[in-house]
Amino acid sequence: MTNVNQNEVVIESQSITVKIQNSTILSDLNFKVAKGEIYALLGGNGAGKSSTLKTFLGFNTPTSGRAIIDGRDVSQSLDMARSKTAYLPENATLYPHLTAKENVEYFLSLADINKSLEDIEAAFERVALQKDAWERQLQTYSKGMRQKTAISLAILREAPIFLLDEPTSGLDPVAIDEFNFLVKELASSGSTILMVTHDVYGACQVANRIGLLRAGELVGEFEAQDNHRIDTEQVHAAFAQRQSS
Amino acid sequence: MSAQLNTVMSSVWYVAKDEWRYWLRSKVAIFVLAIGLVLTLSSVIKTAFTMHGLSHDRNAMQNLSEETFMEQPDRHPHRMVHYGHYAFRTPSPLSILDPGIDAYTGNSIFLEGHRQNSAMFADQKQGTGLTKLGNLSPAFIVQVLAPLLIILIGYSTMSRERESQTLAFLVAQGTSIYTLIMGKILALFLVVCLITLPLALSGMLAIFQGESLFIVLGFLFGYVFYLLVWVLIVVFLSTLVSKNNESFTALVFVWILLCIAMPRVASTTASVSSPSAGKLETDFAVIAALRKLGDGHNANDPAFTKLKDSLLKQYDVETVEELPINFRGAVASASEAELSKVLNQFAEQRMDTELEQTQIARRFGWLSPNVAIRSLSMITAGSSIETHHRFLRETEALRLDFVQSLNKAHTEKLSYIDDINRNNGEEAWQRARVSAQNWKMIEGFSFSADSASTRFSRSVGAFAQLFTWATILVVLIRLAGRREI
Repeated sequence: MTNVNQNEVVIESQSITVKIQNSTILSDLNFKVAKGEIYALLGGNGAGKSSTLKTFLGFNTPTSGRAIIDGRDVSQSLDMARSKTAYLPENATLYPHLTAKENVEYFLSLADINKSLEDIEAAFERVALQKDAWERQLQTYSKGMRQKTAISLAILREAPIFLLDEPTSGLDPVAIDEFNFLVKELASSGSTILMVTHDVYGACQVANRIGLLRAGELVGEFEAQDNHRIDTEQVHAAFAQRQSS
Repeated sequence: MSAQLNTVMSSVWYVAKDEWRYWLRSKVAIFVLAIGLVLTLSSVIKTAFTMHGLSHDRNAMQNLSEETFMEQPDRHPHRMVHYGHYAFRTPSPLSILDPGIDAYTGNSIFLEGHRQNSAMFADQKQGTGLTKLGNLSPAFIVQVLAPLLIILIGYSTMSRERESQTLAFLVAQGTSIYTLIMGKILALFLVVCLITLPLALSGMLAIFQGESLFIVLGFLFGYVFYLLVWVLIVVFLSTLVSKNNESFTALVFVWILLCIAMPRVASTTASVSSPSAGKLETDFAVIAALRKLGDGHNANDPAFTKLKDSLLKQYDVETVEELPINFRGAVASASEAELSKVLNQFAEQRMDTELEQTQIARRFGWLSPNVAIRSLSMITAGSSIETHHRFLRETEALRLDFVQSLNKAHTEKLSYIDDINRNNGEEAWQRARVSAQNWKMIEGFSFSADSASTRFSRSVGAFAQLFTWATILVVLIRLAGRREI
C-alpha cells in the first residue's frame, strides 16, 4: 500500500470485509485517501467498487474492519459522515420533473441548508452548466448536465468529500473532459475524491492514485509521480492480467 | 430536541410539497385526481337529490296512506283490518352518503291483519338487472374506487425514488428514509382530504337536517382513517419493492383482494356458517304453526272454546248472544294476539340469523379494511341491518296496535247479532257497520335512526379494526424502511 501522510488522511478503509448472505463482497480492503487527493478504485463488474462506496455511505455494514471518514468510524458517526460526503450514483438522475434550480433548492431544503439564489447560480457557473438550462426540467438534460447539477449541489452543501460511482460512464468525450476538469478543480480547492470506475483511461487521466480491485480485494496500487499522469499502459496491463487470472 | 423536530417536520413538508409538484406536472396524476373529485362530487350531488326525493316521497306517501285510511266511510271493522295501512321508513340524513341496505331491504311495509308482510319497493327489486351491480353512491366510490385512485396516484411514491437512485442520493446527504416516507404519506393524505371534502360538505348538510354532529364527525373520521390505511398500504408496498411496475402490480392485486374478493368471502362465509332457512321452508313452517291456532274468522272454531267458556263465565251468561260484547270481535282479537306471537317468533328467529350473519361478515374487517369501513359507514349512517330490524319491530307493533284497535271496535261497537246477520240483505249489511270515527285511532308513523350513542357503540369494533390495520402497517413500513438502499 502506498504511504500517505496519516495527518492528512480523510478517507480510510481499515481491513474492511463485507459479507452479504454468506457471499464475501469485500475482503480485507485497505486503502487511504488524503485531503485534496483523487483516488480511483478500478475494477471490472462485480469487483466490489460500488459496494466500497456504499460501505463509506453506511448503506453496507462491515462484517469486520472499519470505514473511516475524517477520522471517525462511519458506522458510529453516520450523520457526520453523510454531512461531509457528496455521493454521485452512477445514474444521478435527480428529479426529472424539476428544473436544475428546483432540484438544488429541494435537496438543500431537505438538508436544512439555506443558500441564496445568487449562491446557486454561482455554483451552476462554477460547474459550467449552461445558463439557458437552469430553468429547464432535468428530463431534457444529458447525463453530463445532470452530473454537473449534482456536483453544484455538492458544492453548495460544502461537502469536502466526493464519492463518485462510475462518473464518466455514458458520457461523450467532451463531457468526460469537462467532468475531469471539474473534478481536478474540486481537488485543487481541497476536496477529497474517491471514485470507482472500470474506465482505465479515464482513471489514469484524472486520479492521483489508482487502486486495482478484484473480487473485493485490493490487488495493486498505482501512483502518479512528479506531476506526471499514471501510466495508462502499465495500469491497463495489470488490469487485464488481473481480470484474466 | 425541538429544533430537530422542527427540522424533521419542515423536511416532511418539503417532501410532501414536492410530491404534489410531481403530480401537478404529471398529466396522469392530475387526470386521476380530477376523476376522483368529479366522481365523488357528482355521486354526492346525485345521491343527495335521490335521497331527498325519497325522503319527501315517503313522508308524502305516509301522510297520504294515513289520510286515505281515515277517510274511509262507515264499514264493518274487520274490512278495515284487511283494507290495511302502509308504514314508510324515511331515510336517515347520512344515508345521502351511504344508503346502506336501504336499496336491498325495501322501505315500506303493508300492515294488515293476520299477516306480517315483508318490506317492499327495494330499488334492487324494482330496477333493471344492471342496478344489481350496485349504485354509484358516495360510499361505494370512497370505499372501493378511492383506494384505486390512491394506488394510481401513489404507487410509485417510494419505488420511483429507489428506481431512479434519488433515494440513495437523498439518504447519502443525510435525509432519513423515514422523513421521506412521512412526507409521501402526508402528500397522499392531502389527496385523501381532497377526496373526502365532498363527503364533509354533505356531512354538514346532514347536520342541518338534524343529524348528530358527533355521529357525522365519527362517520367522516372513519372514512379518512380508512383511506389513511390505504395510503399506508400504498406507501408500504412502494417502499418494499424496487420497481414501479412491481409496486403497481402488487397494489392492484391487494386492491382486488381487499376490496373485491374479501367482502364476498365474508358474506359467503357468513351465509355458510349461519345458514338461514329458505323462504318457502319458512312460509310452510309459519302456516303449520298458525293452523294450530284456529281460524280467527270462525267463532265456532274449537280452538276458541276455552275463550268462549271464559267469557260466558266472566259475564255470567249462558250463550254468546247474551254477552254484552261481540264474541266474534273477541275471537278476532284473541286470535290476532296469538297469531302475532307466532309470527314474531319466526320474525325474531330470522332477524337473529340475519344479525349473526352480519356479525360474522363484520369480523372480516380484521382481514380487510374495506369490510371494516362498510360496517362502520352503514352503522353510523343509520342504514345498517340493526336499523332495519328496528323498523320491522316498530312497524309490527304499529300493525298489531292498529289491528287490535279495530278488533276492539268490532268487539265493543258492533253487536254480535248484527254481525252474524250481516249477509241477510242490504239493511242488515248497513247495520253491521261502525262509524268512520273509529278509523281516527291510527297514529302518525315516523321512523328515525338510532341515537348517536347507540350507533357509535355499535361502530367501535369497526374503528378498532381500522386502528389495528393502521398500527400493523406503520410497523411494516418501519421494517420496509430498513431494507437495503
